[in-house]
Amino acid sequence: MENGNNYLPFKTTLRSVKELRNDVKLFSIMVPGDFSYRPGQFVMVSVFGAGEIPISITSTPEICKDLEICVRTVGHVSAAVNSLRTGDTIWIRGPYGKPFSLKRETRDTLFVTGGIGIVPLRPLVNQMIDVHRQSEGKGTVTVIYGSRNPSEVLFMDEVASWMERGANIVMTVDTCDNEAWKGYTGLVTEHFGKAGVDYKNCTAYICGPHVMIQAAMRDLLLKGIPDNRIITTLEAHMKCGVGKCGHCYCGGKLICEEGPVFSLEEIEKYNIKPGVDSID
Amino acid sequence: MIESNRITTYILHNKNHLSFWLRRLKTSHQIIAPVRDISGDIVLTGIRHMHEIALDGPALMPSPKEFLLPQMEQLFHYSDDGVEETFNKQPRIIFGIRSCDLSAIRILDIFYLENNKDAYYESRRTNTVMISIACNQPDPTCFCFGLSTGPFLRSGFDLQLTDLGNRFIVEAGTETGMALVREFLHIFTDPRPEDIEDLNEVRLASQSRFEKRVNLEQVHRGILAGEVSDTFWDSVAARCFECGGCVYNCPVCTCFNVIDQHFSPDSGKRIRIWDACMFKGFTRMAGDVVPAAKKIQRTKRWFHHKLVHWPTQFGTFGCVGCGRCAISCPGRIDMASVALRTKGTEHSEEKW
Repeated sequence: MENGNNYLPFKTTLRSVKELRNDVKLFSIMVPGDFSYRPGQFVMVSVFGAGEIPISITSTPEICKDLEICVRTVGHVSAAVNSLRTGDTIWIRGPYGKPFSLKRETRDTLFVTGGIGIVPLRPLVNQMIDVHRQSEGKGTVTVIYGSRNPSEVLFMDEVASWMERGANIVMTVDTCDNEAWKGYTGLVTEHFGKAGVDYKNCTAYICGPHVMIQAAMRDLLLKGIPDNRIITTLEAHMKCGVGKCGHCYCGGKLICEEGPVFSLEEIEKYNIKPGVDSID
Repeated sequence: MIESNRITTYILHNKNHLSFWLRRLKTSHQIIAPVRDISGDIVLTGIRHMHEIALDGPALMPSPKEFLLPQMEQLFHYSDDGVEETFNKQPRIIFGIRSCDLSAIRILDIFYLENNKDAYYESRRTNTVMISIACNQPDPTCFCFGLSTGPFLRSGFDLQLTDLGNRFIVEAGTETGMALVREFLHIFTDPRPEDIEDLNEVRLASQSRFEKRVNLEQVHRGILAGEVSDTFWDSVAARCFECGGCVYNCPVCTCFNVIDQHFSPDSGKRIRIWDACMFKGFTRMAGDVVPAAKKIQRTKRWFHHKLVHWPTQFGTFGCVGCGRCAISCPGRIDMASVALRTKGTEHSEEKW
């Protein structure tokens, strides 16, 4: 969007709004043809009067014409976004941020995700399944996906489509209140053994609650994945998305410009730990 | 700002002509200059009459940053009809700022104009001419000399004036500066060798008057080498009142918050206002997660940003030696003191 003013959003319409969970909604937003983005990036979403927040992009550009975002009600701007309905106006700026790299450098690709953490990884899973198909050598795409209980699983049909396209799926819940549940119970970190992954030749993408990310990173390091192949996406308070307001500055890095995608190696080297530090 | 390849020097023999010159410039520009306010403080403000200008005072508080990045600024007005941006394009001359503050503005230019250009800053900046005045008498809190940000500059100014007692030396460093002189060439004369001699003498005298000799390069290296411990930063943080004074007065600090202000259910304005990373809530996320909750995290971050990350990323320190942090801090923490206390390994463990 070239109008010279980085702080000015463009106006667009919600093609559809779908409730995924009582506090989570999926929005399909109409965007101009030249609006291009990559998984890992985010947009600044405005509801005038309430404010503006950074939200991860969850649509896969090759599959989806619209821009999809998934918003959980946590504060007053997200609550305002989640009160919007199909046909309503929404204001967008972006895309911003450094995306995930699509270069396949290992035999296996592993996704470890919990709860709403699947949202930014979802388009990357789609893309990596294709990358695996199109490149040589064996190796699998595995998704270990944890939720609180079966009724809170997001994107169930998409997960089924991944399985149909050859991905190895391991689903787990904290507690099971549904006899029809065919997946596992327990934390995602308890199921690394079921992944069938060669940890010495694997790239792992992790996103979910902070405690889960920390535990998964620690366990995967122990299993032999080097720290430059353990990737996550960080979140921070952001007011501009273009490296000027200073709120996302952490460890000498601006999460909005040099992230939000970071490897564990970078996180340790620069001590970038927004949000994670709060648990102590 | 297009810099000339060389500096053109003039003499303004009759100091009364300074008022004449500024009065004529005022017909096409707003003149912002130092003025003594009712409490005796020197502040930068738009002037109506030349006699208001006070050039004999100490460092200006606050810094000239507010004219390029206002404390509160409207980004746009929004309504059902759409959004309407508001840019300030008024031609202005900021007269009488010091070399440290001009150096700070050059740092702000890098930050706001290079990557992801800030259109609001650009609009004010391109319509502002700076006429700086070299410092003949640094304040006790000044340390620009060690940072090459003062007491005078060799380049990078539109116009730099040096007071030689009964006359001014006027140096033009850009086409913009030259244009302001050329229009009134009849009040300027060419310098004679004795003028340049007097200029050099005044400069050397000023340099010799600095009470503080601060070496930020040494601190930078010390921090990178891991020689500055958390014990030290803890003792600094313990003195911090979290008032934000250092941030608000610093001519290089740039952080801001963005807020929507509703007038009616469907219209209002989006504004930005200065923010301070020293405040506990600066990093607060929805869900009440506060990453930088501990004071030491914020203290360390501010100093590291200016001493390590700015030079690493932009090749210049995020500090110009203006001394305002020293003047404003109720806890007596400031860049010069921190730098002096971290000099050398034997001092870094020492508490305040």
